[in-house]
Amino acid sequence: MKFTLNWLQDYVDTTSLSPDQLADRLTMLGLEVDSVTPLYQELSPLKTGLVISSEKHPNADKLNLCHVDVGKETVQIVCGAPNVREGLSVVVALPGTILPGNFKIKKSKVRGIESFGMICSERELGLSDEHTGIMELAEGTEQGQTFIKATGLDDVLIEIDLTPNRPDCTSLIGVAREICGIISKPLQIPVVTDVIKQTSTNFSVTVESDELCPRYAGKLIKNIQIGPSPWWLRRLLISVGLRPINNIVDITNFVMLEFGQPLHAFDFDTLADGKIVVRTPRSNETTFTTLDNIKRTIDSNMLLICDGEKPIAVAGIMGGLDSEVTNATTNIFLESACFNAVSIRKTAKRINISTDASYRFERGVDPDITIKALNRAVDLICEIAGGEVPEDGIDVYGGQKDPSPLTLRVSRTNNHLGIDLDSEDMAALLESIGIDCKNKDTDTLLVTPPSFRIDIEREADLVEEIARLYGYDNIPVTLPKVNLSFPVQESNRKRRGDLSINLTSINYTEAINYSFVSEKYSDFLSLSPNDQRRHNVALLNPISEDQAILRTMLLPGLLENVKRNISFQKTAVKMFEIGKVFTPVDINRQPIEKTRLTAVLSGNRYGESSSLYYKNDSVDIFDAKGSVEFIIDNLGLTFGSNTETIQFKQPEKGTCEPYAEPAYSLVLCNNDKILGTLGKIKADILRNFGIKYAVYYYDLDFDTLCDLKISDNNFTPLPVYPSVKRDIALIVPLSVSSGELLNVVQSSRDKLIESSEIFDIFQGDKIPKGFKSVALSITYRSQTKTLKEKNVGKSHSKIVHLLTEKFKGSFRDA
Amino acid sequence: MEHELQSLETEAREELSQLNGNSQLEEFRIRFLGRKGRFSTIMRQLGTVSSEDRPRLGQLANSVKKKVEKLFEEKSASLKRDSGTLDQDNISPDLTLPGRCPVKGKLHPVTQVMNEACQIFEKLGFSVAEGPDVETDHYNFEALNIPAHHPARDMHDTFYVSDSILLRTHTSPMQARIMEAQSPPLRVIAPGKVYRCDSDITHTAMFHQVEGFLVDKDISFADLKGILTVFTCEMFEQELPLRFRPSFFPFTEPSAEVDIACVMCNGVGCRICKNTGWLEILGSGMIDPEVFKMVGYDPEVYSGFAFGLGIERIAMLKYGIDDIRLFYENDQRFLSQF
Repeated sequence: MKFTLNWLQDYVDTTSLSPDQLADRLTMLGLEVDSVTPLYQELSPLKTGLVISSEKHPNADKLNLCHVDVGKETVQIVCGAPNVREGLSVVVALPGTILPGNFKIKKSKVRGIESFGMICSERELGLSDEHTGIMELAEGTEQGQTFIKATGLDDVLIEIDLTPNRPDCTSLIGVAREICGIISKPLQIPVVTDVIKQTSTNFSVTVESDELCPRYAGKLIKNIQIGPSPWWLRRLLISVGLRPINNIVDITNFVMLEFGQPLHAFDFDTLADGKIVVRTPRSNETTFTTLDNIKRTIDSNMLLICDGEKPIAVAGIMGGLDSEVTNATTNIFLESACFNAVSIRKTAKRINISTDASYRFERGVDPDITIKALNRAVDLICEIAGGEVPEDGIDVYGGQKDPSPLTLRVSRTNNHLGIDLDSEDMAALLESIGIDCKNKDTDTLLVTPPSFRIDIEREADLVEEIARLYGYDNIPVTLPKVNLSFPVQESNRKRRGDLSINLTSINYTEAINYSFVSEKYSDFLSLSPNDQRRHNVALLNPISEDQAILRTMLLPGLLENVKRNISFQKTAVKMFEIGKVFTPVDINRQPIEKTRLTAVLSGNRYGESSSLYYKNDSVDIFDAKGSVEFIIDNLGLTFGSNTETIQFKQPEKGTCEPYAEPAYSLVLCNNDKILGTLGKIKADILRNFGIKYAVYYYDLDFDTLCDLKISDNNFTPLPVYPSVKRDIALIVPLSVSSGELLNVVQSSRDKLIESSEIFDIFQGDKIPKGFKSVALSITYRSQTKTLKEKNVGKSHSKIVHLLTEKFKGSFRDA
Repeated sequence: MEHELQSLETEAREELSQLNGNSQLEEFRIRFLGRKGRFSTIMRQLGTVSSEDRPRLGQLANSVKKKVEKLFEEKSASLKRDSGTLDQDNISPDLTLPGRCPVKGKLHPVTQVMNEACQIFEKLGFSVAEGPDVETDHYNFEALNIPAHHPARDMHDTFYVSDSILLRTHTSPMQARIMEAQSPPLRVIAPGKVYRCDSDITHTAMFHQVEGFLVDKDISFADLKGILTVFTCEMFEQELPLRFRPSFFPFTEPSAEVDIACVMCNGVGCRICKNTGWLEILGSGMIDPEVFKMVGYDPEVYSGFAFGLGIERIAMLKYGIDDIRLFYENDQRFLSQF
């Protein structure tokens, strides 16, 4: 809702407040002021002038040589406008003035004659598109004044961001009423009659549904003269951003802004049979052309205004092209009505138009202003466009409702707000904005909501009014008196939080990507046609193709992040995201939401660490694997070697992720259940994302990981006796994996073996082709004694024997 | 020999006091204490002395050797102390070089601010609940007193999956879900992602909110002001001027938007606060009786308040970030700043 300060003065005197103070008070009433803008400041250098003489330019037929009195002096100006004439008050831009569009006025010579400035048209001033001639100021305008002051353009525009519950404030009178409440000034409303003597011989009105159209009134106005509106009217409309069209349309817009009642004028002579029928479409009525010249599809629920034959307007939204008021119109039918808010809203949505009228109707229009607004517009039309009203018109008010009074409990209101007012205080607050109260008893007020406050339906609505009018600032600040409780916090959330922090400690940065992605990623990742992750939830109204479906994987978003960072020279990337993926169930049910933990690794292992100390090594598959081990440990889980426990497996043939290199892929399992995968992303997949560097990833089912039983964390007594470490270097075929070697050691069940690890692997040089050297270190310890050489030697040679036997290897002297 | 031992001690003492540097120290060790050093030479003579002198001279030799060894250790330790390292060449390290500091990643600023907000409410005894991102029309709108075709739906540019399924436009559905499942008293916050089809410098189609509500007997609007004042002061780590301003949400009445004094200009007025001196940070209000009725609570018995705050908005104000879209580009140059 936009209005100007000068305009507002017609209804309430706010001169005691500065524009900013007024804005602040409105905001604190719940009418949030979006902006306070002084208008036309760029036109402030312009002056008013009086044309003293105007004669033909000696060297040009279409130009005039004028002398214009601009107050202190008289200047000579060459002007090409056809309407310039002696005695006309005009707007003058003297040399040095800058007009809108950064057009600087200079002293110049036009066809040999000097010109000291310019007489301006409305278009040159940026006021309207009018450029057929110069702007004509009202007769008697004193010359030499500041133009914007002299014409009332020197005004302040205030824009309010209205909440949907306050349709009454879509009008100047509504806003003024609120202000009256806070500054204790009377509300001035234009005096108009609010009755219609139901007489009409020229037309009839039929309303088929009181539900959809509670009230419909109209008047016939004959012999009007269509033309431009007077300056005061055009000025008001221009200042709030409406384009003046002609006097009739301008008046309907003006009254709409004044009262909040949308009006519509039809060219009466286009109406068949002089009939108005408010109804839903007949089965053969499927399209309708609105006055913006667009053919609209209509459906059976839309409320239409029809004449004796056909639709002439979409009720409450937009009139039709055929019945539009044109320059040739002489007789008009003026409509003022109240339509059902929900119905208008549905229709406006369906045909996808929002107009000033629909904006008001879908929020609700006061049925008691229908006639006032109609009469106000009729008065103005007769005054400005010279019409005559042959008879009083018709008012069909089938949807009248008696307002039922509401009870407001004083003590309950106080408790609810934390304040202490008595019934008189509360009554005074409500009455200040025109809400009538009666004292039922000291603790109860009987309140009749006025028709213009259609939002007040319950006691709670009145409590809100009390809070608002009393002032939120005046309500004290207290802490609730509640019983102490110790809420149990959800464990997965805590684990997610802890793990995230721990991952940052090993140099991972957390990413958050959009939950919606492009469908193309399924192809980018070469997912097979029957991959579950191609089965997705699509949005009906995505912003773009790039955000059309809910993600089924986190990996694409992270790969886009890698791409972005590499392109900004941040090639060392370690990023993780813990987020939801969505699996559809069926179209009318919520999808399954699962939380996954996915990470990507690329570039230097040590990130931004100083290369003075940290080698410039690129990450590899073991960084990814190590991170997964870190995560498992952080979640309080442990790896094990039997199938009942968490372990890495190599993917079986054909089950590897399609985007991962099979030779660089692992599956994290528990009891045959897949917990996640990790690996190296194929180069051709990365090319789809525009990445030229190697990228490793892991992708874990976070929910399932959190559901696993956390390993017991019991104290193990510290060993009493020292351990003995023995190394062994085995030469085994290349096909033997080190994991198998360790498995053999661990499953040998020798009680003295405490742990074993691989510490070196190499090929070539002295090692025969097809073989590799694997160096193991085995730690022996006894719980009962210090081990002697012979104890260890016995166990160790058994292990060496076992290993060489099993893997057809030999051992090297270490 | 006795004399020899004594002069050896004196010489060693003198040499040690004068030498500096690890290489000289090593040279000393070889010359005096080494396998072919002077002590060894003397000790070898021990076999040639008379058997009655031998024990006495032996003891003397041992005690001198111990003394010299001790002096050597002391000198060696003092040299180490002086240089501060074991540097063999005795060149002092260049301490202007950077430390060997392991690098650390960062949590996303949204996560950081979200955690901070949740922790404040957890300290006030609120529990934390999370709900689905994809909601039903019922929980997102109907149960919050926003029937179909209510103009308030215009305040939510909703992404739909089907007629009845949508991406939640706020975290408020959790109010209805939790109230339906539990009985008062309740003190809960619900953080999470929310979605609106809107995208520009201050809006992204996905953002984060924290919903909170408290339901009990005799809860007042003054209490709402109290809790949110505590929260805001904690969040911005200062006693910021606050303003509660009337607003409208269909699920609260009275409703209030909360503004803080503009953190950019300290309330004087600037571009960020559109010259008002105030910045809106959250929406709140007393839970509407209709919402209570829908979950079967008696509004005559219970009252409560609810609030919802936008995490990105708070993060932007806290850190002075001017473009919300930066949050979802995951650019390390951005993420590493928080």
